[in-house]
Amino acid sequence: MAGEMNVHVRSMRRAAVVGGAGLIVQLAASFYWTPLTFIGSAVVGLPLVGIGALLFLRSAFRIMKERGAL
Amino acid sequence: MLPILIIFALLAGLAIVALLFFGIEPLSQSRWGRISLLVGIVAVPLLVSAGSLSTGFHQSSRTSFCLSCHEMQRYGMSLFADNRNALSAVHYQNRAVDRDSTCYSCHADYAMFGDAKAKLNGLRHVWVHYFGQVPEKISLYQPYKSANCLHCHEDARRFVEAPPHRPILGSLYDGTTGCFASGCHNVAHDMKAVDEHRLWQAK
Repeated sequence: MAGEMNVHVRSMRRAAVVGGAGLIVQLAASFYWTPLTFIGSAVVGLPLVGIGALLFLRSAFRIMKERGAL
Repeated sequence: MLPILIIFALLAGLAIVALLFFGIEPLSQSRWGRISLLVGIVAVPLLVSAGSLSTGFHQSSRTSFCLSCHEMQRYGMSLFADNRNALSAVHYQNRAVDRDSTCYSCHADYAMFGDAKAKLNGLRHVWVHYFGQVPEKISLYQPYKSANCLHCHEDARRFVEAPPHRPILGSLYDGTTGCFASGCHNVAHDMKAVDEHRLWQAK
């Protein structure tokens, strides 16, 4: 049980790191908007945040499934 | 000008994600902890990103944004051309358009999805800038639509009452006579004035 929890904690951490990386990309772009930074923000930063959110939701879904909440 | 609000929002979002990163283990043990993880790692970053995207769209309509590419810098200079018939110069110098978004005021379709179309064209410009061959003479992808001029001028008194416009108002409105195509207003950017340094500057 504890091992399974660690797996989920790790995957949630991974989700936080990916989402955080997306926010960092967007933050860097917002200091100097040029066509390239705008595209970087929209094409790299935004999807990273989305992927982070999906990773988190996936691990939350797995926890609920393991606990029989679904 | 820096978009301070979105910078603060992104910093706050980042701080929340960082805090939750270290607190995932204890937080995941309780119901409210899990809810706060959901809010902090999913909802807040998505919300802040939506704000960032919206700010990016707004920023990408600014004159300084367009002129950040060297290909456009000569066109930026043409805003100062000392020519009372050059449309871009007249609009800019007389403050007929917002100076912060001069390019976008004219180079955007005011039809539905016009903003999206303008941004997609912008993507195409970036692609050409980095991976393609920038043409010697830059031109529009399609002839300029008079409807964009009429978006502002349509019922303006100066436009309606101008003697040359009066007899052809109907055809101007239905698009059969174009502002450019008619030959009346066919100098959009006076590049010759730029090359010859015939520029006007407000004192």
